[in-house]
Amino acid sequence: MKPQLPEIPASRTWRDIAQPVRPGAMSRGGRWRLALALTRTAAVGALLGAVGWGVWTVTSAVSSEPRAVPAAAKAVAMRPPELRTDRDGVLDAEWLGRTLALPKGVTLMELNLDRLRARLLADLQVRTATLTRQFPDRLQVKITERSPMARLRAEVGGEQRDLLVARDGAAYFGTGYDAAGLATLPWIDGVALAREGLGFRITADVEPLARLLADAQFAAPHLYREWHSVSLSRLAADRAMEVTMKSGVVVAFSAQGGYFLQLAYLDYFASRIADLPFPSPRIDLTLGRDVPIAIQPAPSVGVRLRAPQTGTALLYSVLSPSHSSLPSKREL
Amino acid sequence: MSYKTTLIGAVEIGTSKITALIGEHAGRELAIIGRGECRSRGVIKGAVVDFKAASEATHAALEQAEREAGEKIDVVFLAQTGGHLEGFYNEAAVTVKAADNMIEPGDVRTVSDLAKLRDLPFGRTVVHNIRRPFRVDGRVIPGSPVNLVGQRLEVGYWTVHGQEQRLADNMNVIRGFNLEVRELVLSSLAAGHMVTTAEDRQHGVLAIDIGAGTTDFALYRHGCAHTTGVLPVGGSHLTNDLSIGLRLTEPQAEKLKLRYGRATVQTKDKTQKVWLDGTFAIGDRQFSQQAIEQIVSARIWETLEVVRQKLGAAFSPETCAAGVVLTGGTAKLPGLTEVAAQVFGVPAHLGEPPVHVAENLRDPGCSTALGLLYYGITAQADRAFPTRRDGGFLSGLKRLFTHA
Repeated sequence: MKPQLPEIPASRTWRDIAQPVRPGAMSRGGRWRLALALTRTAAVGALLGAVGWGVWTVTSAVSSEPRAVPAAAKAVAMRPPELRTDRDGVLDAEWLGRTLALPKGVTLMELNLDRLRARLLADLQVRTATLTRQFPDRLQVKITERSPMARLRAEVGGEQRDLLVARDGAAYFGTGYDAAGLATLPWIDGVALAREGLGFRITADVEPLARLLADAQFAAPHLYREWHSVSLSRLAADRAMEVTMKSGVVVAFSAQGGYFLQLAYLDYFASRIADLPFPSPRIDLTLGRDVPIAIQPAPSVGVRLRAPQTGTALLYSVLSPSHSSLPSKREL
Repeated sequence: MSYKTTLIGAVEIGTSKITALIGEHAGRELAIIGRGECRSRGVIKGAVVDFKAASEATHAALEQAEREAGEKIDVVFLAQTGGHLEGFYNEAAVTVKAADNMIEPGDVRTVSDLAKLRDLPFGRTVVHNIRRPFRVDGRVIPGSPVNLVGQRLEVGYWTVHGQEQRLADNMNVIRGFNLEVRELVLSSLAAGHMVTTAEDRQHGVLAIDIGAGTTDFALYRHGCAHTTGVLPVGGSHLTNDLSIGLRLTEPQAEKLKLRYGRATVQTKDKTQKVWLDGTFAIGDRQFSQQAIEQIVSARIWETLEVVRQKLGAAFSPETCAAGVVLTGGTAKLPGLTEVAAQVFGVPAHLGEPPVHVAENLRDPGCSTALGLLYYGITAQADRAFPTRRDGGFLSGLKRLFTHA
């Protein structure tokens, strides 16, 4: 504990003497220096103030409602938004105008870009969207779109509606596509849907289906063209997908193996059973080289064929010349 | 390792001339980059009597120094002298608190505060509190006594105080150039720091700075300043004595002093004459060389005797082994060291600044301004408990703007 010091007031030191600035008591040089110092201080203060004001204004404009933006920015009327899509995009300016639904006379600074972006992404055909203010009067919208790989039919609002299915499982109504092109896509069934935005999302993993369809389109387009629908009802339980061809033939693909080999088997057996007198046979490609083929309508009657021992190169030797567009062994 | 470079000014407002120096301080190195000198006006015996004239002269010296340095300064160390400065000694003792008698920082603070506690008359302001060595049970401790063992801790302070108005006048001259006075340093301490070495101060030395209007002295013992003082007598009094004694104008007397002045009487022949101008023109007169030397010598003897009397018991040849060191413009007077040696009974010599000081700054008249820079920087670095100004951040901000 510090001992009590005697009650004597502390002496004044020279540091307690005020050092005031009195321009009247200054020489010309001193006044000039004072003016320079004041100017410098004022300039620094003004600079700091301007920076602070600018930061405050921008922060307010970004974070608050559009009415907080300066009146000067509100005065410029906006031109129609500019749409930029990727190479395969089919959406157009009309769709953009309809989707954004901007009020008439709105100005650029009044737009809430986050809200508009959410509005665009609600349409699942749009995968990404970037909105940029291009001062003074233009809104630029850059989007990338999903590509459909299949179709499905669902009951929406009490009526049957056709949806397009993208590779990531998004199911959307689709705008701007060529109808003839869409007619070549196979149907999907045996899936459950969940609401998302203005569309749906398939709850199952559709990645195996996407790979099967892509491989079929690439390696065996003549077979793919004959596919009517693909059922994913056995996907979760058996890791199998059933393709129904337009001829009524049902083909079960394994979701675990390579699709190129299964497609090669299918190509081989399809040509072999074409001459059989039984309609709608069922070909099971899920068992590897053993390919059971069930013949309808007598389920008890069946044949069991075996794939050639010499490998895939031989498979294509039985194909007709018109199928020469199939990939070679090396490509497989 | 790189240090931040700071620019510091030193100003000595003397009676005959005003000196301004600008130093560039980085780490432990100090380089003098600018020097300005101007004939003093409006200053008598170290005190400002004509504010406007003194301001103009001081600002002219500062402008010259800034021009030579090519830099602008914001703060200065200001030398302080004048007959109004006085000093007293006060000491205190405490019993060491700890049970094992080991001295703690708290004991040191307490005894220091007690030793500095002494009320000053109205209008007086402390300029310096110069601490003398601590004593632990009678033992002199040159450094810090913390962690030493003892029962009784003593310390004394030599407090220098002056009239607040006189100090404010000097500071306002500097403020008139929009500069802040960072340190106020006694001229005697500044000059003494410059012309004595640490060894001299340890062995005991008396530094006497004889200027034009005042004579400042500082006695060092045990490595630190023991006693300081100022006499309002200087070289201008020699001129004045010659002027009265020989019936001359002041410029004429000054001329004679510089040419023929001498601290000791060497001329035996009373008839030996010297010419005032040496031009033999109308008005040129002859004066007795012996008379000039007698007048100058008498004043010098008297001045040094008064210094000795003011030191009193503090000075003794035994405790002043390094002798007397003379500096200041009047120290160039021939024979001064002999007189000092006779008066004080110890060897005396003319003070020399350290060898690293440039040739143009080695004049004894520059030692105070030079010492200001060195002493001020050392004092700032050594200040264990920096003086805290009132208020916090906001007050600092306010000061920034008001000083601008």
